[in-house]
Amino acid sequence: MVTRNTLSLNDRGVSESIGFMLIFAIVIAGIGLVTLYGYPLLLQQQVGADEKIMEKNMIVLQNDIKSLAYKTVPYKETSLKIGGGSLTVYSSTTNPGASNLTVYDSTSPPNRYVMNFSSGELRYESVSAQTDISLQNGAVVMRPRSQPGSTMLAEPRWFYDANTNTMVINLINITSSGLMAKEGIGTVQMALGETNYSYSSIPAGTAMKLDYTPDLTGVQNYSVAWDSYFTQTLKMPSPVIAGATRKYQLPTDTTRPATLVIKRYEVIIKNL
Amino acid sequence: MARLNDDAQWIVLMGFLVSFSFFFLALVINQSTVVGQTTAESVIEFPKNDIRDVRQVIGLSVNDPNLPVIRNDLTVLSMNRKGSVLQYTNFTNGSATYIQIHYNNGVTEYNENWSYL
Repeated sequence: MVTRNTLSLNDRGVSESIGFMLIFAIVIAGIGLVTLYGYPLLLQQQVGADEKIMEKNMIVLQNDIKSLAYKTVPYKETSLKIGGGSLTVYSSTTNPGASNLTVYDSTSPPNRYVMNFSSGELRYESVSAQTDISLQNGAVVMRPRSQPGSTMLAEPRWFYDANTNTMVINLINITSSGLMAKEGIGTVQMALGETNYSYSSIPAGTAMKLDYTPDLTGVQNYSVAWDSYFTQTLKMPSPVIAGATRKYQLPTDTTRPATLVIKRYEVIIKNL
Repeated sequence: MARLNDDAQWIVLMGFLVSFSFFFLALVINQSTVVGQTTAESVIEFPKNDIRDVRQVIGLSVNDPNLPVIRNDLTVLSMNRKGSVLQYTNFTNGSATYIQIHYNNGVTEYNENWSYL
């Protein structure tokens, strides 16, 4: 019989199998907690990162369009990763427009400078984050799919020059030969198409008006984003709402003769 | 007599250091998706060469007898090619000639007054 060392720890209650079970239970509980709570959090962060990356990508595409339109670069190509959703081009010619714009003056009958302009768009539809990011008419706008409201991530280049009382409206029309969509890594190739430029002198006392009508089906409604751009950035007075249409007045000084410059650019999406 | 050999404890320590540095690197990489305008984009936006070209042509044209025609041409050209509003006036006061340039492309507004004898 083995005599116990009386100086050692009293370990009569220590059992190898109970110790194993305790450690094993702790490990299993740890794995369980990570799977149940940690993994969904990780996925959620991935979704958030995908969405942020696409916001950035859309601004990169907007910069490409700026180069095409304002820097007279004929062709641009960008590779990007489209995660968590798809990027689709909606040509202004083949699809009903997401929104349309009319510019006219206050004479009667009004002179119409732009009639029902519909811009076409490049739209990222996130499946996981439930948001849509759209590059339309030179602006990047974003909306959550489950609730109304929208926000503008990057503004178009419209401006009013107070010195010369000139309003410059840049209309960017996205066209493509068909409906194209992309998921994963893709290259967006775009080229400058037709450009058109009109320069109108408006006599003193004539106000210029702008009608903005959001998507008539009411699905792709970015009117909040455009409304805050028109009223906050361009300092237009609050619109008169007539049905779905919002009627704005351009911020020109009506006591002086004004100039209205409308530039139209066609951006052709060659491939996606 | 058997004794604990702890000569290689630094390996474990280095392991800890490396894993913590990976953790911080991951945090830094995570920040790279933040949306914003980069310096390169701002540089592209700034119309430095457009303004320089316009100034040079204005400087050449101020003494031209066809100044009103050139002025109109310059305004139309700068709007058509660069999408910018350009206005310039020149007037003489005594022996000095004053030139005022106003340039605006929606991102950058530039005003300049200069005079020479």
